[in-house]
Amino acid sequence: MDINIKEILLFKTNIRTEDDKRYIGKIMEEHEIKQWTVDLYDIDCVLRIVSPILTHEEVITLVMKNGYTCEVLT
Amino acid sequence: MRARDINKVELVKQKAIELLVELGFEGFTMNKLAKACGVSVATLYIYYKDKDDLIQNIGLEEVQRMSAIMLEDFDPESSFSEGLRQQWKNRAKCILENPLTAQMIEQLRSSTYQEKIFQTFGEIFKEPLGKFMHNAIEREEIVDMPLESYWSVAFGPLYSLLRFHNEGKSLSGKPFVLTDEVLWSAFDVVLKGLKK
Repeated sequence: MDINIKEILLFKTNIRTEDDKRYIGKIMEEHEIKQWTVDLYDIDCVLRIVSPILTHEEVITLVMKNGYTCEVLT
Repeated sequence: MRARDINKVELVKQKAIELLVELGFEGFTMNKLAKACGVSVATLYIYYKDKDDLIQNIGLEEVQRMSAIMLEDFDPESSFSEGLRQQWKNRAKCILENPLTAQMIEQLRSSTYQEKIFQTFGEIFKEPLGKFMHNAIEREEIVDMPLESYWSVAFGPLYSLLRFHNEGKSLSGKPFVLTDEVLWSAFDVVLKGLKK
């Protein structure tokens, strides 16, 4: 399992339910973001995106525009 | 930038197994694991997609590691008594030296991860153990019987003894330590029972 740390973007969100996840899934699809997961079992509902081109700011803007909180996970 | 710090990954794995056994799958969280490891939650999410992914990956890695120990020096072509003896030796070693992992695998067996875990075990053991049993029947060393019956008689007593040992007590709470003598005398009885 080779991972390029630079390509992994992590966020703390409130994408909490399966419905939220489905909704965000559509948004991701629209923006051609293919490698993404949300940990619904986690208190921080961590959104994880693997992308060589996206920036943290772009993802935060996109998620917040759709009504969810989103901040960089530290 | 380093892709993956092997020591850190090992630490995460060890602590994850400890916590999964201690807290169960429900009580286990990425936050608790991060604290136990002294790393940030973000670090964990670099290695694993989510909690599910972590449990599944660590579970499968451990199943593969345990399986390798169980098949060490085991030759499916060996005589039945020799092969079964090696199996007992390996399985005992595996559980005695990795009590936490053994417990975690037990937990996995009774969870939603069960299917994947069984499948992996099955894939690894099917060939060597199937061949071994088939050889023993063909050479008329043991009675022909369903695989499930064979497995239960061959290993059931071993796993009971190992459970008593890991819990430190046997029936009605009597203190118990598994000695070589107890182990191998039970083995002799099993062998006698299975042999034609």
